[in-house]
This record gives sequence, C-alpha cells and structure tokens, in this order.
Amino acid sequence: MKKPVKNWLLASTVATLLAAPTVSTANSDLEKLTQDPANWASWGGDYAGTRYSKLSQINTQNVKTLQPAWSFSTGVLRGHEGGPLVVNGVLYIHTPFPNTVYAIDQNTKAVLWEFTPTMDADVTIPVMCCDTVNRGLAYGDGKIFLQQSDTVLTALDAKTGKRVWSVQNGDPKLGMTNTNAPIVVKDKVITGISGGEFGVRGFLAAYNIRTGQLDWKGYSMGPDKDTLINPTKTTAWKDGKTQVVGTDSGTSTWKGDQWKIGGGTTWGWYSYDPKLNLVYYGSGNPSTWNPVQRPGDNKWSMSLWARDADTGEVKWVYQMTPHDEWDYDGINETVLVDQEVKGKLHKTIVHFDRNGFGYTLDRETGELLVAEKFDKSVNWASHVDLKTGRPEVVPEFSTEAHGEDVNTVGTCPAALGSKNQQPVSYSPQTGLFYISGNHLCMEYEPFEVTYTAGQPYVGATLSMMPAGADAITGKKDGTTNLGQFTAYDAKTGKIAWSNKEQFSVWSGSVATAGGVVFYGTLEGYLKAVDAKTGKELYKFKTPSGIIGNVNTWEFQGKQYVGVLSGIGGWAGIGIAAGLDDGSSSTNSEGLGAVGAYRSLSSYTKLGGTLTVFALPN
Amino acid sequence: MKIFSTSTKHLALLSLVLVISNANAQDKFKVCADPLHPPYSTKDLTGYENKIAELFAQQLGQELEYTWFPERMGFIRNTLKAETDNNKGFKCDVVMGLPTGSDIADTTKAYLHSTYVLLIAKGRGWDDISDPSQLYNLPLPKQEQIKIAMFDRGPGTDWLQKHGLLEQGIPYQSMTGDGENNTAMHIEKDLRSGAIDMVILWGPMAGYIQSQNPNNYISIPMQSAEGIKFDFSISMAVRQGDNKRKQQLNELITQNKDKIHDIIGSYGIIMLPEESQKQQNQ
Repeated sequence: MKKPVKNWLLASTVATLLAAPTVSTANSDLEKLTQDPANWASWGGDYAGTRYSKLSQINTQNVKTLQPAWSFSTGVLRGHEGGPLVVNGVLYIHTPFPNTVYAIDQNTKAVLWEFTPTMDADVTIPVMCCDTVNRGLAYGDGKIFLQQSDTVLTALDAKTGKRVWSVQNGDPKLGMTNTNAPIVVKDKVITGISGGEFGVRGFLAAYNIRTGQLDWKGYSMGPDKDTLINPTKTTAWKDGKTQVVGTDSGTSTWKGDQWKIGGGTTWGWYSYDPKLNLVYYGSGNPSTWNPVQRPGDNKWSMSLWARDADTGEVKWVYQMTPHDEWDYDGINETVLVDQEVKGKLHKTIVHFDRNGFGYTLDRETGELLVAEKFDKSVNWASHVDLKTGRPEVVPEFSTEAHGEDVNTVGTCPAALGSKNQQPVSYSPQTGLFYISGNHLCMEYEPFEVTYTAGQPYVGATLSMMPAGADAITGKKDGTTNLGQFTAYDAKTGKIAWSNKEQFSVWSGSVATAGGVVFYGTLEGYLKAVDAKTGKELYKFKTPSGIIGNVNTWEFQGKQYVGVLSGIGGWAGIGIAAGLDDGSSSTNSEGLGAVGAYRSLSSYTKLGGTLTVFALPN
Repeated sequence: MKIFSTSTKHLALLSLVLVISNANAQDKFKVCADPLHPPYSTKDLTGYENKIAELFAQQLGQELEYTWFPERMGFIRNTLKAETDNNKGFKCDVVMGLPTGSDIADTTKAYLHSTYVLLIAKGRGWDDISDPSQLYNLPLPKQEQIKIAMFDRGPGTDWLQKHGLLEQGIPYQSMTGDGENNTAMHIEKDLRSGAIDMVILWGPMAGYIQSQNPNNYISIPMQSAEGIKFDFSISMAVRQGDNKRKQQLNELITQNKDKIHDIIGSYGIIMLPEESQKQQNQ
C-alpha cells in the first residue's frame, strides 16, 4: 500500500520540479543551442539577431573552392523567404503558401517528416498583398513553430512532425495574414500580424509554448490598455532625453477613431535580450495609405519597440518616420550588440530602416545615439535631428507638401526602401554590419484613378527607377544598378565599403568567423565576399532567384552553407505573378515594382530549391 | 466513286464539326468577377455586370464562362493576367468594371458614369439634410453627433477633412478579407443597426443599399470640387495588348448603349449624363 503512494509522491515531486524550471528551460535550451555554432536554431542564428557564425572552416582562403553538396526541391513555385533551421543535426525548411514544413535527415538527405497545414487557398490568397511568402520557423521546447499564412500559429513535435497545438492569431476576414518567423522566448512563442494594406491594426502576441494559450498582446496604436504602454513608466526619446510618454500616446496623434484601422503591422523579425528580458521589433506603416487623410504623427506606427518578455509592457518606443508619406514600413530586424559609441560602451540596438537611415540606440533606455544614411542617395530627409529624434524632411520630396496634384519626382529611396525585410548580419571581428540593400528612387504620380473593392478614387501611382547615384557619396553618376551590398559601422554611422548589384539584394546575409560574408542575389547567385574589403571571393548560380536568408551550420565536423532559392516576393512579384508582359513602362500592379525589375525575367525563373554548399572532401 | 464521294462528304462533315467545336472552345466569353460583390456581380449572376456580360455573350453567340475571385488588391494579377492551372491560356479575357484609363489593364470606352452619394438613414434626426454643405454648417454640438462612415482612401474622407468633420468619421476598411460580406453589405448592416447614420459611398454601392430598403434613405449626389473628385467613368477591361477584343467590346458598348443604360438603371444607380463624361475624359 505504501509503496505506490510513495512512488506517486515521488513522481509528483519530480513532475513539479520539472514543471517549474521548464519555464526557463525552453529559453536556456534555445540559448544553449544557438551558442553551439553547429546549430542554426532561430532566424537570426541567435537571440540578438546578429546572423554571425563562429564557424571558420570555410574562410577567405578556401571559399573559392566551395561546391554545392546537395539540393532539395520544395515543390513550390512562389517566393521563398527565410532560411533553414538546423537543430541537433536535423534540418528544417518551410515553403511559401501552402506552408509545407520538411524535416530532413542530413545523413541520408531523406525527408524525416513533412507537414502541410490545412488552409483554404480561396480565403487566404486573396488577402495576401505581395506574394505568398513565409519568413521561416522557430524552434523551442522540442517543437517547431510555424506561423501559417492564414494567421494560425501551429506547434509541431520536432521529432515526428505531429501537430501539438494550433491557435488562431488573427482574423483573415479583417484582412489579417501572417508572413513572419516567430521566436521562442522563455515559455512563450512570440508572433506578429500582417495586413497593413487592409487597415489591420498591428500587434505583437505571446503564446504559451506548451498550450498555445495567449499570454499577452500589445497593439501598435490605441489606448494604453491595448498597447501595454505604461503612461508613467514607458519612455520615448524627446528633447535630447528619454521621457515618459504620458497617457494614451497611442491615440493622441490620430484624428477621431482612425487608430482603429491604423496599420503598424509587425511582419518582420523579433530579437530578444535575455539579461534585460526585453523583446525588440519594429512596427510598420500607418493606415490609411493616403497621408493627407490621416493628419498627425500617427504614433506608434513606424516605430522601434522594447517590450518586457513576461508581460508585454513597453519599456521604450521610438518613432522613426512620423506621419509616413512614403510607405517606409518600419518592420526591419533589430540587432542587439554591445558597442562603444562616443567613448561610452552601450548595450545597443541597431536597425536599418526602409527610410534609408541606420539607427543605433541604447537598448536599455531607448536613447538615440547615431542615425545616419547607409545609402547616401537617400534624399527624402536631410538628416535625423539627434535631439528631437525626428527626420528633417526635405519639402521637395514630400508628396503632401506639394499637394496631391503635383508629380513628385526622384524621391529616394523608393517605397520598397533602401533595405527591405532581408536581415543584415554583424561580424564582431570587423565590427561592421552587412546590409543587403535596394538602390532605387520613385516617382509619385497623383491623379491616377484607382479602384479598390469596387470603389474608384483618385490615388497615386508609384513608379520606381535606379537611384543613379553613388551609394557612398550620394553624387549622381548615371548608374543603373538596383542593389547595393554595404558594410556599415553602426558606432560612427560610416559606410566602410559598398558593392553594386544589378538587382536589389533581397536575401539576408550571414557573416562568419572565417572572415567571409555570404548573401544571395535576385538572379540566383550565392556570393561570398571578404568581410573586410567586400572583395568577391566566390559565386554560384542556384536554380532560381534568391530572396531567402543564407544560413550556416556544422554536421559531422563539416561546415555547410545553405540557402533557399525561389524568386518571388515584392521585388520578384512581376515574375512570380506572371504580370511581366513588358507592354508598358509603368505598371501599378505589384505596387510599382514591376517596371524597374522587368529584365529580371531574363535571368531567372520560378521554383523553390534548398542548395547546400560545402568545401570539397 | 460513290464510296469515295461519301467518305469525302463524311470527312468534310467531320471537319466542319471539328471547326465548330474548336471555335466554341476558343471563343468562350471568359469573364473574371467577384463571386459576392452586389450590385456588380454575384455567383448567382444577379449583378448588373453579370447581366451586361450575358447580353454581350449572347450577341457574340458565345458561351459565357466565369472565373471567380474577390475584387481586391491583386484582382487583375490573379485573374485577367493569370494563366489557368493547366497552362491553357488565361483564366479570363474580360473584366466588366474598372475606372476608365486605369493602367492596371487596358480599358475600353466608358459605359457608366456615376458619382459618390451621401446616403442618410431616415428618422435619426438628419431628415432635413438636402445638401451636403448643411452638415458642416450645423451648430457645433449638433455637428458632434454626426456618425458618418469614412473610407480608407475614399474621396468622402477628403471631404470630411476639408470641412472639419474628420473627428466625426467612423473609419472603415475599403477592403475586407471577408468572403461572406462585401463593403456595401457591411455598410448596409451598420446603417440599419445605427452604428452609423450616414455614408458617402460610390454610386452603385449606394444604389444597392437603397434597393434593400427603398424608403429608408435620403440620397444626395456629391459634386466634384477643387481637389476632390467624386464622379468617375467605368469601363470594361482586357489584357494590355488585346486590341482586337477591346475593339469588339467598344463596338458592343456603342451598339448596346440603351440596353446597358436600362440594365444599370434598373438597379437604382445614379448615372451622370454623357456631357460630364466627355468633360471628365478630357
């Protein structure tokens, strides 16, 4: 009689002991996993989002002998963003809609399991604005987390691919979709929302990793109870210091109830500082798209955020582009590194925005330290005033200052930004950030009649063209390249070097201890360059254009580099969606991207493939 | 000889049949439309665009074939410019309604010229409004009671802003992801429930709402003014470069002017005269 009871007690004690620490186990497990360079366990390689690998087997001397080791077709034709995860030897990849997940055995190259969620294409695809991309998976607590296009967040058993739980993160009927990669923090998996074109109000949400239960949800705008802004504690940068934001800062810069369809979606990447226990990310453009119709700063669209991981409470927030007139969506990744700025060591957050400025802030306090152009062709603002934190807008390139009936010509960057969602990498060896960039300007043509859901209105048409100016000096030079790959010092705001690319670089880079930086091009080349000088050391043409992120890992003592190719996304939508008929010089489908990218179809065609590279045996 | 002759005849007949069936297969009148977008189009073929398509197909002696897709951002990309799954041509050749001159596809000559309408629910204290200017001339306390729908990107929002009424606007998404309710249906529901009392809505949609409860609304056409354009011309559209089909549609629009007018008119949609249409095109 006694024995079973004792056993039961013992079992219960063990269970209790296990249950409590599990809260931090998933977190420390993931931290441990990311510290071992054999893995690539989160989108950014680590919580800080540095996309730096300590592996050095492939280096500046031998990278020229790199070879494709094996490849795998995903069977999907749309744009492939994000990249492979590698956890304890198993490789996990994902596809655009229908969001199939494959677990692959690196020994046999066989599929261990695959999972395709049940989604209604007729419901989901009409709501997705810019191709049906997905930016990848998260790992934690023995599970793979997939943020499906139809807003369902799904947890899969990493060993079997069996679904453990699913939760509805948004409502597609309101235009909500998802394209982001989640991250696992402590006992939570954190995700966001897409759909700014529909007027979706953005948020960041944290779900329990074991149950899928919602822990907290913080909106980009709205009353404090929605944004989780603490009016007496949350700070923002103002008049040269960090100051508390006060009550309802998320509604006070909007007219009436406009914040309810305010945009500020969160479709990018999220990073985490375990010591400060803060989650960092950027919010997107305000809605409506027509700036004239939404007077005010439209806080907190276009902003950088620091939220407490346990409660979601906002520590600090910083708005980069108040009252956006250019579609400079603020969702790009945030990289957390410690750097000495102006003689003082700071825990910094570094963010390269669509608006062309690279921002360095103290990530503990939100203090603005550096804000400089990482492509000098940028002209919409002359500079960012470090004291006010606001951009000094050049009236010549303000569509609103001109009034709606004036054609605004030569605004740089174009709406797709000096850099889009493709994440940067950082090398502690050089202290430099490596930026996959766009090099385009735009023309804003008003008085075009537009039509949405049966309602005609006078809208503006964007057309994009090469910047035609030097990225380092900003001087006009008549060049026609659409992309730049740039090394930038976030301590000083200086560009170290910049390579021209024929097309936008829409692929996230990886920097390695071998002194090499890898990135992909829209024509489909995997390229390796010297981290110090930018000198091209290697290139190989993969089966399709690359908009995925290059990742690296080790298996059985060998370093591998892997990337998903598969053209699509905004830059490639002309090809992906078959609308590249070449019959007119401008085309408003694809949000103005088609014209400038027309010639891309001569270089690459559709098709998703993972290509894995290694040095020869 | 006889046998030969018969088989020749037979062959001739056979090839004639083949030609006809080929012609039928090639010359379907292929239209892309929203399956739930009253009063424009519905899967039950009750919209005025459905009726006009039917008329044209009939006159061409072609079978009318639909591909359904919700009309939102990406509509043209996913329909008129999308190839079929079996790579046998495009999903459709014609879209029944786009603003004249839209560069997203090649538009025909205009077949409808309409304007935005201020639609007011009766019996809510606004029955004496007969001109939009009355709204912004009301005493402030009364002005502050206005509950008016405001659309993302619509000229109604510009008008509210110009006249200091933006705070009274209740913002709506111009596109939703809802496959069971379109914007007009949503507004109709909210007008009925009292969530809003009035709306500035595009003519055909306002016509649809009014048709649901003909005696419940006051309908006042909005006049285009400096900086705000309320009236627009609507055309059909073909793929860029499909000039032959565009020419054919232009001829059909001209020949059927009165019939088209009657169809649209039966939906209670406000139509502006040709004169202002000409002006607008200049």
